[in-house]
Formats: sequence, C-alpha cells, structure tokens
Amino acid sequence: MGKRSVLPKQLKTPYFTGITAKYKLQIAILAIFLMLWLIFFAINPSGFSNPYTYTAMFSVAPFTIIPALSLTYVIILGEIDLSFPSVMALGALVLTLTWKTFGPTPLGLLLALSAGLLAGLLNGILITKFQIPSLIATIGTMFLWRGFILVVTQGYGIPLGEYRGLPIYEMLVGRIGIIPVQIIWTVIIALVLWVILNFHKFGAYVYYTGDNRIAAKMLGINTDKVIISVYMIHGAIAAFAGVLATLEMATFWPALGEIYLMKSIASVIVGGTPVTGGIGTIFGTFIGGLILELIETGILAVGVTGFWIRLVHGLVIIIALIAQVLIRRSEMRRMRVVE
Amino acid sequence: MPEEKYIVETVNLVKRFGDVVALKGVNFKVRVNEIVGLVGDNGAGKSTLVKILAGVYAPTEGEIIIKGQRFKRLTPRKAYELGIVLVHQERTLSENHTIWRNIFMGRELTGPLGFLKISEMRERAQKLLKEIGLKAIPPDFPVKYLSGGYKQGVQITRALCFEADLVILDEPTIQLSLAEVQRVLEYVRELKKRGKSSIFISHNIYHVYPVADKFVILDRGRIVGEFLKKDLTPDDLSHIMISIARTGRVPPEYREINLISS
Ligand SMILES: Nc1ncnc2c1ncn2[C@@H]1O[C@H](COP(=O)(O)OP(=O)(O)OP(=O)(O)O)[C@@H](O)[C@H]1O
Ligand SMILES: [Mg+2]
Repeated sequence: MGKRSVLPKQLKTPYFTGITAKYKLQIAILAIFLMLWLIFFAINPSGFSNPYTYTAMFSVAPFTIIPALSLTYVIILGEIDLSFPSVMALGALVLTLTWKTFGPTPLGLLLALSAGLLAGLLNGILITKFQIPSLIATIGTMFLWRGFILVVTQGYGIPLGEYRGLPIYEMLVGRIGIIPVQIIWTVIIALVLWVILNFHKFGAYVYYTGDNRIAAKMLGINTDKVIISVYMIHGAIAAFAGVLATLEMATFWPALGEIYLMKSIASVIVGGTPVTGGIGTIFGTFIGGLILELIETGILAVGVTGFWIRLVHGLVIIIALIAQVLIRRSEMRRMRVVE
Repeated sequence: MPEEKYIVETVNLVKRFGDVVALKGVNFKVRVNEIVGLVGDNGAGKSTLVKILAGVYAPTEGEIIIKGQRFKRLTPRKAYELGIVLVHQERTLSENHTIWRNIFMGRELTGPLGFLKISEMRERAQKLLKEIGLKAIPPDFPVKYLSGGYKQGVQITRALCFEADLVILDEPTIQLSLAEVQRVLEYVRELKKRGKSSIFISHNIYHVYPVADKFVILDRGRIVGEFLKKDLTPDDLSHIMISIARTGRVPPEYREINLISS
C-alpha cells in the first residue's frame, strides 16, 4: 500500500447510503434479541406462542426499562446514577401517602413526579456545584432516600389494593385487552426521549456534554445546567416507574426498586451505550431491557429454576459487550483517517 | 458610532496563576481585517492572552476593549456574542459526532420549541465546507475520522459559520503534515478575504509569515516587538526571535522598525 488516495476510500464506500452500516450496532442488538427469542421459542413453542407469556413479560418489563431509558441520558453524559431505585421508591411512597391522605387523585402523581424532580436536582447540584463524582454523590443520595423511606414506613408495606379499578389506576397499570398499559407508557417515554435526544437542541447538548465537556463549555453550552436537567428528568421518570411498579403490585414496599438497579444499568450497557459517554441510543436501551426481560421470561417458561437467570444475564451481557467492541473496531479499521 | 479602527484592544492586561505571572501588562491591538501573527517561546503567554480575549480566563488586572465596548472580563458566551471565536490548541470538537453537528455546536439553528433544523444545518455546513475547500467530505462524516488538518478546517468553518469577526487560531498547524499546513493557511487567507480579522499563533514563523500582516512578539508575559510584514523577511523575523530567546531583547538593527519602543 502506498500513499492514501486523494478522495478518501471510505467516502466511495456506501457508508452513508447504507442504513445497515450506520445502525450496525443497533441492528446487532436487535439480532441478539431475535436470536434469543428464537432459541426460547424452539425450546418451548407452546409457551412462546401464548400471548399471555408476553402480557406477563410486558407487565413487569417497564419497571426495568423506564428508568433505564432516562439513565441512558445520564450515561451519555459520562455520569452514573445509583440512587434511582431509591427515587423510584420515594416517588411511590409520596403517591401512596398522598392517596391515603387526600384520596386517589392526580395530585398524588404530580407530587410523586415532583419528588423525583427534587431528588434529581439534589444529585445534579452535588455533581456540578460541589463537583462530587456522580458515583459517590448518588451512593449518598441512594442511602439518604432509602433511609428516609424506611424511617417513614418503619419498614412496613402499605397496601393499595382498594384503589384497583379506579380510572386513574387503570390508566397507569390497567390492561387494554391483553396489553398492559405500562408497556404503552414505556413506549411513549422511549419515543419522547428518542425524539429529544436526536432532534432537539437539548439532546445535542447532552451528547456534547458527554463527549467533550470542555469543548461544550468553551462553545458557550451551560453544561452544569444540562447535567442538572438530565438528573431531574431522570429523577421524575424513575419516580414514575416506581409508581407504576407499586400500583402493579398493589402494595408499596419500602425495598421497591432495589432489584432494578443492576438490571437497568445492564439494559443501557447491553443496548450499546458505553460508560465513557458521548454516544448511545434510546433504541439500544429499549431492546437491551427487553433482552434481559426475555431471558427471565424464557428461563422460567423453559422450566428450569430461576437461579439460571443471573447466569444467562451475565453471559448475554458479556456477549453483547464483545459484539460491540468488535463492531467498533471494524468500523475504526474501515474508516481510517481522512487526509 | 464612529467606525472602530480596532476590533479588539487590551489595556495593561495582567494575568497571574498563583505565583506565575503569565501576562505582565499587555497592550495588544488587532485592526479590522488584519491578521496578526502572535509569536513567542513556550510559556510566553500567547495562549493565556487569547483565552482572555475569548472569555476563558478572567484577567487579574486590565481591560479588554471590543468594538469600542470596555470589559473587565468576558465569558465564553459573551465573547461569542461579540464575534470572537477561538480555535483552540486543544480541540473544541465533539469527535463522536458529525461535521455538521460540530460546525453548529453551541449555536444550533432551531425552530419552534428548540427542535433542530437538521436539513438546514446540513445544507449550510455543506456549502461552507465547499467554500473553504473541504468539499470532498460529506457533512454527515464523524469528526473522529478526520485528520488534524481537516479538524482545524472544521473549527475554522465553524468560525465562519458564526459570522465571527475575529477568529483566533492557537497553534492550528501543530502536528500537521506539510500539505495540511498549506490547507490551513488557505483557510486563514479565506478569512481575510471575507473581511474578518484573525490572530494566528504558531511556533513556526514560516507558518505565520505567509499569512500575517503584522507580527507581535510576546516574551515572558510582555510584548517586546511589533513589526509590519513589509518591514521584514522571514529570516529577519527568525533572527529577531532567536535573539529574544537568547538576550530577551530585539537586536539593535531592528529597533527602528519595531513599533514597540523600549
Ligand atoms: N491554567 C493555568 N494554571 C497555571 N499556570 C498556567 C495556566 N495556564 C498557563 N499557565 C502558565 O502561564 C504561562 C504562560 O502559558 P501559556 O500557555 O499562555 O504560554 P504559551 O505562550 O501559549 O506557550 P506554548 O507555546 O507552550 O503554548 C506558563 O508559565 C504557564 O505555565
Ligand atoms: Mg499555548
């Protein structure tokens, strides 16, 4: 090989015309999902052709996927949040107490979302104004809110079954035919976050703040404001997910959210958003979350013990990560520097 | 308002970083549509001076006059609004994102509700890239796959796009191949043609010389020399620089043409 040609080679290749190349990573994630589904289907065809299998899956998947969607923004910023499970519980508790005191009105939801916003604001301020690394700051707030909830509830659950069947209840976690309403909320939140990330100025600033914070600052982007806003949105969405989970179970549990911590983070990672920040997709997270839920549903439907779930989760996370590295490497090779 | 002769002027600018005094009373001026070559040894204070002009640092003492307005300090946003764009020594690019996104970074064209006017930005980016001679690259190309010269080109295109009046280039030719240096020099000439002013910082006087109208020599936080291009050859400039590095002074035979009397 001699000198590089005048017109860079990769500009002649259909990199930008081929959808497949541009969305390779997302297609790979989707392929992993479909492959897993095929495997489970092959092992248990009757279970996986039964619509109620999916009703069951989609009734619980939102509690992992919804917080993972907004967590994607946080991770694109190059930050992390460990406090969202506590914020889920905080939002749910605020709704529970409001409903118990004032009755089941939208006020409870409004206050729950506000609690999420405030929890996000606190995280954002700790991270930007006090410059505490997000890992540390959100460990602090994780304990703070969980402790607050335990103190308030004394560790007891609060039943909410009496509100079942009310319009507001059914709007949040009811069923439309066999479709759980919460999966529709999940899709709506995903669409809104996807549109903002890709087509709105705020989404662009989230990307730039994560990709090159110094550059973003120098170009006049208020990165602190971006970070605080993302944590607030994430807080509100986590609170909403907590409300949904609580209503689905018809009981407020003080430990609510803890099982979603690693699953939600894993959804983002499996979905192709690297923890180094700057890039990432909502679509990837959505499918990433579905992959983890499918594994749970699949393993139970196949009839082996639930202990296998973690093992397969681990395997799939590792496979997805390796696939991502390979795809990025091959792109690097193909897209050698243009001179 | 009378026509301003200078686009930017500093008055007795002092900058301290703890015990280090990076600038010791600098009076620096750039005329409208003038390219100033700002030269000086490592640590002379070149980057510090231009960062103050771009609002990155606040001066410890002194004033900045831009288009007749006086400031004690600027912020990056304020400097931007005043039409000053700094193409940094450190790259201000979001490397994972496309060229058009980088060109409009921080100044996106938006419609109602803050949604991006993507096709408009892409088209304008394409047009500007073409004008500046980067036409072979589609605006959807990720910046990380561009070479250093092209990356500088993207940053300069950004400055053009923002209708900047003063484009500051801090070591834009560092680590570039010969052909790429020529390309960057072309970009700078393009700025001049469009009536912009520019400050061009480089260690290599053979990079500065062809494009600059005037040379300002900074030495340990002080301006020690200011020469017009018509009074000097590149070898003269080189000679002066070496002498300043050795003795801290402009050699006597050049004192006559030095606009700074000392
Ligand atoms: N952020 C900072 N904190 C502390 N000292 C600094 C800082 N920035 C610059 N300095 C000091 O100020 C002096 C001038 O630095 P400056 O970067 O302006 O020089 P320069 O002329 O741009 O040098 P170079 O040619 O190496 O880029 C140096 O002694 C440097 O160490
Ligand atoms: Mg410098």
